Amino acid sequence: MFEFLFKGLIRDKSRSLLPVIVVSLGVSLSVFFVGYIEGMMGDMVDQNARFGTGHMKVMTREYVKNIAQKPLDLSILDAGDVIDDLKQKYPEVDWVKRFNFGGILDVPDENGQTKTQGIAGGMAFDMTSNNSDLKRLNIADNIVEGRMPKGPFEMLLGQGLAKRMNVKIGDQITYFGSTMDGSMSFQNFTYVGAVQFGLSVMDDKTFLIDIKDAEQILDMEDAVQEIYGYLPNDIYDDQEIEEIKNSYNQSFANDEDEYAPQMLALRDQNGLSTMLDMVNTMSSAFTFFFIIAMSIVLWNTGLLGGLRRYTEFGIRIAIGESKRDIYKSLLLESVIVGAVGSVFGTILGLILTFYLQEVGIDMSDTLGNSNVLFSNVIRAKVVPTQFWIGFFPGVMATFLGALLSGRGIFKRQTSELFNELGV
Amino acid sequence: MSTQKNETNENHIDMNTNNIIEIQNVTKRFPVGETEFTALSNINLKIEKGEFTGLIGPSGSGKTTLLNLIGALDIPSEGEILISGKNVAVKSDAKSALLRNEHIGFIFQSYNLLPVYSIFENVEFPLLLQKKSKAERKEAVMQALEWVGLSDIANKKPSQISGGQAQRVAIARSIVKKPDIVLADEPTANLDSTNAYKIMDILKKLNEELGITFMFSSHDSKVIEYLRRVITLEDGKVKNDETK
Repeated sequence: MFEFLFKGLIRDKSRSLLPVIVVSLGVSLSVFFVGYIEGMMGDMVDQNARFGTGHMKVMTREYVKNIAQKPLDLSILDAGDVIDDLKQKYPEVDWVKRFNFGGILDVPDENGQTKTQGIAGGMAFDMTSNNSDLKRLNIADNIVEGRMPKGPFEMLLGQGLAKRMNVKIGDQITYFGSTMDGSMSFQNFTYVGAVQFGLSVMDDKTFLIDIKDAEQILDMEDAVQEIYGYLPNDIYDDQEIEEIKNSYNQSFANDEDEYAPQMLALRDQNGLSTMLDMVNTMSSAFTFFFIIAMSIVLWNTGLLGGLRRYTEFGIRIAIGESKRDIYKSLLLESVIVGAVGSVFGTILGLILTFYLQEVGIDMSDTLGNSNVLFSNVIRAKVVPTQFWIGFFPGVMATFLGALLSGRGIFKRQTSELFNELGV
Repeated sequence: MSTQKNETNENHIDMNTNNIIEIQNVTKRFPVGETEFTALSNINLKIEKGEFTGLIGPSGSGKTTLLNLIGALDIPSEGEILISGKNVAVKSDAKSALLRNEHIGFIFQSYNLLPVYSIFENVEFPLLLQKKSKAERKEAVMQALEWVGLSDIANKKPSQISGGQAQRVAIARSIVKKPDIVLADEPTANLDSTNAYKIMDILKKLNEELGITFMFSSHDSKVIEYLRRVITLEDGKVKNDETK
């Protein structure tokens, strides 16, 4: 009997192919939507972690109080000891030194007079050795002009800033700023390349130098402004980060030194806590409502599929099949259609997500004036949830549709179903 | 009339009795808005085994309603329908289905073949419900198709055959399980004269050779010519009951 019904299902395209296509499309949209939201969320976390916050960050307590100003004079002294302590306590975490500081960049003309000048934000990290931070920031692959700094006092500019400063490779750029102690600091750099960060806010305002140069011009040997920590493989884990932060801060709870180190998690910085919670809640709500909406569409498909077949049910009842058996076969068909549609839909959704993960959508024109660390290229992200989430709208909704439409078989008098034969 | 009780199989119907169908004081009302429409009023009939009987009458006279009641597709508002002495109205849906599957065949005006299945598969369907083996099914289906002269088109689809052939397939489907009763509702209404006579010849032959009781609902004179007993319904009542 199952073989007979299955044969009918396969042959009747309106019962098999069409519903499978509808289910597949609905499921693929649901799966893709989850990947898209995850991609956006992950990208936001990733970009902030890479450039602005780390997964966690260690500073002095006083620095934390004034973190928006990034005050160099409140930086960590004896940085080597602090890093050694961190590495001992949390060996799985990658601890790296970073500097973020401001200054004026001046480009002289052939006569030594200012050709262009502008305020810019400097970022310094260890870029001369093949270390983890260099790979993490992936600067080398994003150089659009020139090369990575190889020697002392070489500078990279964000491509927008380079354009604004009107510089050519090899030009001199003079940095004007202040040291950690508040003294004036001047240093000539050689412009060696332009970088495309993929973040408008950085492309237009940031210059990069090696950390040793920064230590020198800021007079900060064995001092560090911020120590960034990254979990293994740079995989963000909110809970683990919170545990590390609490345990580290607890170890200095009795230290009354205002310059004692203090750790902040990613979500404690830049208002990311509210934003992450909001985006999380909104994405969960959007995902929930989207899946409910898709479920209603697919439920309707199941409902229509059932209603359309009342004539066939009438024939089967007349031949001697019980209503209960017809109902069971209708439900079984809906599960088969839902499962097959869900498998195809999940595969399609994953392909779409993977495509957007690898290729992305360039939004640089739209995000040009944005001041948040948000990638210019919107990418989706393939996540494990996508492998099963589509089966909820796919199988459950189709089954529910059949479940409800099939109830009509019982609600109606047998003769009414029979009369729908048009006899 | 004698009926034989079977204690172990409630659905068993003793077909040794002469009166295969007994309709006792049957009234059927349908709700229409807040009122009721009486489709059948106090019908009393007895149909003997092997009869070739027809219900005739104008549209709305209650022919189809009565066939539905006999076929256990509906239950009377009042009265009883006995198939070989058993009241079919009190049976559950599953038991009514079993009764139809084992003892009653239907032929419809518009054939109602399942379009995605072949002729063979359409005729085979009742036997699948009876869980017959593949070999038994094949033999029975081919025999039924031979009775209606269509064994050469077993693999065709309903869309590939004519109306006359489709009705013959429907007949094969109704008799493949060798039912005791076949209920035929306007079986010739969609056919031309040639095909209508051909169909009635086949049904007559099946009645005579297999002893199947046929009950028709029709106002087609070509059908009436063949009937041995004609029951005329009018406004839900038996107006005339004539045996030729």
